[in-house]
Amino acid sequence: MARFSNASPIRWLGLGGAVVPLLMLLFVLVTLIIKAIPALEYSGLKMFTGTTWNFGAQYGTPVKSYGLLHDPGEEFGALPEILGTLATSAIALIIAVPVSIGAALVIVERLPRRLANWFGIFLELLAGVPSVIVGLWGVLTFGPFIAHDVAPFIADNAPSWLPFLKGNTGHGQGLLISGLVLAVMVIPIIAATARDLIRSVPILPREGAMALGMSDFQTARKVTLPWVGAGLVGAVVLGLGRALGETIAVAMVCGVALGSLPTNLYADMITIAANLVQNIDTAILDKMDISAFAALALILLTITLIANIVARLLVRRVSGTALPVGRGL
Amino acid sequence: MAKNFRLVFTAAALVPLTVLAAACGSSTPSSSSSSPPTSSAATSGKITETGSTLLFPLFGYWQSGYKSVAPSVSMTLGATGSGTGIADAASGLVNIGASDAYLSSSDMAQYPGLEDIPLTVAALMVNYNVPGISKPLNLNGTVLAEIYTGKITSWNDAAIKALNPGVSLPSLPIVTLHRADSSGSTFLFTSYLDAQDPSAWPSTNIGTTITWPKVSGQLAETGSGGMVSGCKATKGCIAYVGISYLAKTSAAGLGEAALANKAGKYTQPNSSTIAAALSSFGAPPSDGAMSLINTSAAGGYPIINYEYGIVKTTQPNATDASLIKAFLNWVVTTGNTSTYLSKVGFQPLPSAALSIAKSQISAISG
Amino acid sequence: MTNPPATTPAPLGGAGSSGAGAVHSGRGGAGTSAWPALPVGRKISNVVFWVLCFLALAAIVVPTLWLVGGILVRAIPHFSFSVITTDGYGAAQGGLENAILGTLYITVGVLLVSGTISILTGLYLAEFASKGRTRSVLRGAYEVLAGIPSIVLGLVGYLALVIGLHWGFGLLPAILVLSVITVPYITKATETSLSQVPVSYREGAEALGLRQGWTLRRVVFKSAIPGIVTGLLVAIAISVGETAPLLLTAGWNTSNPSLAMTHAPVGFLTYAIFNFWDLDTSTSLTLSYDAALILLVFVLLLILLGRVIVAISRRNAE
Repeated sequence: MARFSNASPIRWLGLGGAVVPLLMLLFVLVTLIIKAIPALEYSGLKMFTGTTWNFGAQYGTPVKSYGLLHDPGEEFGALPEILGTLATSAIALIIAVPVSIGAALVIVERLPRRLANWFGIFLELLAGVPSVIVGLWGVLTFGPFIAHDVAPFIADNAPSWLPFLKGNTGHGQGLLISGLVLAVMVIPIIAATARDLIRSVPILPREGAMALGMSDFQTARKVTLPWVGAGLVGAVVLGLGRALGETIAVAMVCGVALGSLPTNLYADMITIAANLVQNIDTAILDKMDISAFAALALILLTITLIANIVARLLVRRVSGTALPVGRGL
Repeated sequence: MAKNFRLVFTAAALVPLTVLAAACGSSTPSSSSSSPPTSSAATSGKITETGSTLLFPLFGYWQSGYKSVAPSVSMTLGATGSGTGIADAASGLVNIGASDAYLSSSDMAQYPGLEDIPLTVAALMVNYNVPGISKPLNLNGTVLAEIYTGKITSWNDAAIKALNPGVSLPSLPIVTLHRADSSGSTFLFTSYLDAQDPSAWPSTNIGTTITWPKVSGQLAETGSGGMVSGCKATKGCIAYVGISYLAKTSAAGLGEAALANKAGKYTQPNSSTIAAALSSFGAPPSDGAMSLINTSAAGGYPIINYEYGIVKTTQPNATDASLIKAFLNWVVTTGNTSTYLSKVGFQPLPSAALSIAKSQISAISG
Repeated sequence: MTNPPATTPAPLGGAGSSGAGAVHSGRGGAGTSAWPALPVGRKISNVVFWVLCFLALAAIVVPTLWLVGGILVRAIPHFSFSVITTDGYGAAQGGLENAILGTLYITVGVLLVSGTISILTGLYLAEFASKGRTRSVLRGAYEVLAGIPSIVLGLVGYLALVIGLHWGFGLLPAILVLSVITVPYITKATETSLSQVPVSYREGAEALGLRQGWTLRRVVFKSAIPGIVTGLLVAIAISVGETAPLLLTAGWNTSNPSLAMTHAPVGFLTYAIFNFWDLDTSTSLTLSYDAALILLVFVLLLILLGRVIVAISRRNAE
């Protein structure tokens, strides 16, 4: 509410400051849209459905399309990247959601207060680790471990009607590891919010369930979790927003296989963000490639914006962890 | 507390003014050197370079050598790949871009005023990790193209056996390595494949970044160093690495292929084969861009190239221009002696290329 | 988080039926035990449930320890303090002083630029904006900004500032891009902590006849400072840990940064981690781990500092 309508200089200065984020947002959108238009015209719908990405014959004769001089033979099919972005985030959530909720239940209902505080610091630490360090661990330690010890186990024991889980288990990079690394980064967000939400469930309904003879599992399933349902969904979607926008850690472990859909769970793949960061040096030499990258950025922006808008509609603000949550580092 | 508040607001007012000042200041290009310009502009300041990982080891030796000639010139080097070298030089982000690949017509159309100056002569090896092979394997462009398109998948394939009679090849799957980053080595390798067999490898697939045909098990590595370590770690691998990494590939136990030249003879890169190949090509054109691939000299190595310094002819200021000219003139003369080149296995510029380079250098102004 | 009133019977009604049936089986003869014996099925399901939940907890603890421990174990044996005081040279040689100073300069710049904008924005939204369209538009702007992936902002910075405005790599494009990323966090912290100042403080000041501007400065702002500082700590954590946007706006430099804002590439710590680990020199992997160690220690200090500030403010509040 307008509490101080008369403190003029402070008010105008404040208004000046408050307009800046709006200008920043408009600047970002306008820049991207202007830059992206030639590539979108050039590729049309194939940008969303095509699977081939070709930076063009660099040493061929340049041609002119839609006002830009560029290498011939370029093809911008972003379907593998879009699917890669969605698939890695899906794997991350499939793992992160049960783990976070289970851990939050333990922290709130089973652990003594002091231990619970220590785990709070744990979650903040995991949330605060820069994603490039998580990527370093993923590519040097965790990835090889998964490739040598876990993936062969899954591939050997998976039923034969799930061919996606079988086959060549790769060398430490790929879809599975990208999903796992993303899960590690998304878990603190969901777990911290889930913990705060579960803590806020009043004791009376839980005691009532106990009095009726419900097991702990039934209490959790039918009382605690439904109580905080919308908030949990919002937290999950916030985690999804982070996973979608994550760049560096995924770039280090995905294998950067541009233009190919992964053949199984362990194959190299690529996400939109990883493509942007790894191939910018190739793209910068050619104006149409730059335009394609701006288009990719717009696609990523749209996907993450939708996720974040849904999150904000669902989650009621909980004064949560002190460290960055809900965005890609 | 009131004082703190006024401080905050003064700072708030200063921020937009600073931004404005910086923006205005940058429209008249400022000197890229952090030390104040002195009267003897050629002897103090900063030169920035980035690009080819093939040329990078030699650039390091040049940096130390030049320091004794011009002690107050500081240099920042980078090993980011030839494509980044060209891109950063074109955008004015570095003074010199190092590249194994000359500028394409697309580059020259988009960035007029960019020149590629030959600095030295290098070569590209093809290395492999096949245990039990002691003699170098003979390979040619057709076989290599079929390996990299997935038609040949095992080391004991008939096509490889045909080139290497009497060598017992193991039935080991071939793992192809290629560069993930934008690389001049990729340009040289793909140029060789196309020059030897255009039907197996089309000319549209030549460049610092290309669309690699999907081969199962293929790996992408970053940098020449990454190619070496990746090949060392993978049995059955085949990779292309610059000759400046010969010591590293030998230490890693990797074999070095003998490649077929246009005359059908198989050679490995050394000073005499590189020199023989070099002499079979004429003088480069005035813009310096010339391919030295697939020599028809019988004793020549087929993948050699000029190493280029990509520089803008118009530098932002006179200090930068004179620093760059002085350094590059040193590179093509003193830097091309065996003191430096023998450490990396390169060859000095032939006299025709040297005069082209010198005239390109003198065209730099600020 | 608003809680519905504690006496809603609705969830219990559905739950009762599934639980009630099993209780009867345990009822044996009267007087043998005080409580009915729990059926084995429910005991097993309880045990299995909590075992799974503890495994979930372990699934968080183990990777965190592995990650942090892995960095510490690999970095500490080879760490020497000269890394902090030596410049880099060549590729991945020398020390990290250039990177540390670069990160420091960038962070200070981000705090100044983003802090100013965000505090003013938060102030305006909490104190001056009238409910309704202005407020929702302005707040919507920074909330949308919070959802933009940092690589997208880095790309825009590269295209518009580094290339478009011909600034080249430098402190200014890096600071501006990171400011866009951090503005939502500090703004949110400022707005929240300003609106949490008790109304009684403001009413008391007004009853005493104090001028509004004076109240704002001396009373409201002062009690909101711990929350604002927490937001600033978040901004520091982001500036220090970001990689992708800095790759595109700050470049890399092996010498220490100057105060030049444009045309002067700046080194930063996360570059060393991202790029050095797979370079081939003898010192590159060590430097990469050293940089990771420095960053981890710093992040840990930030977390502890945040907790200390919250504890102090709680002590002062009542």
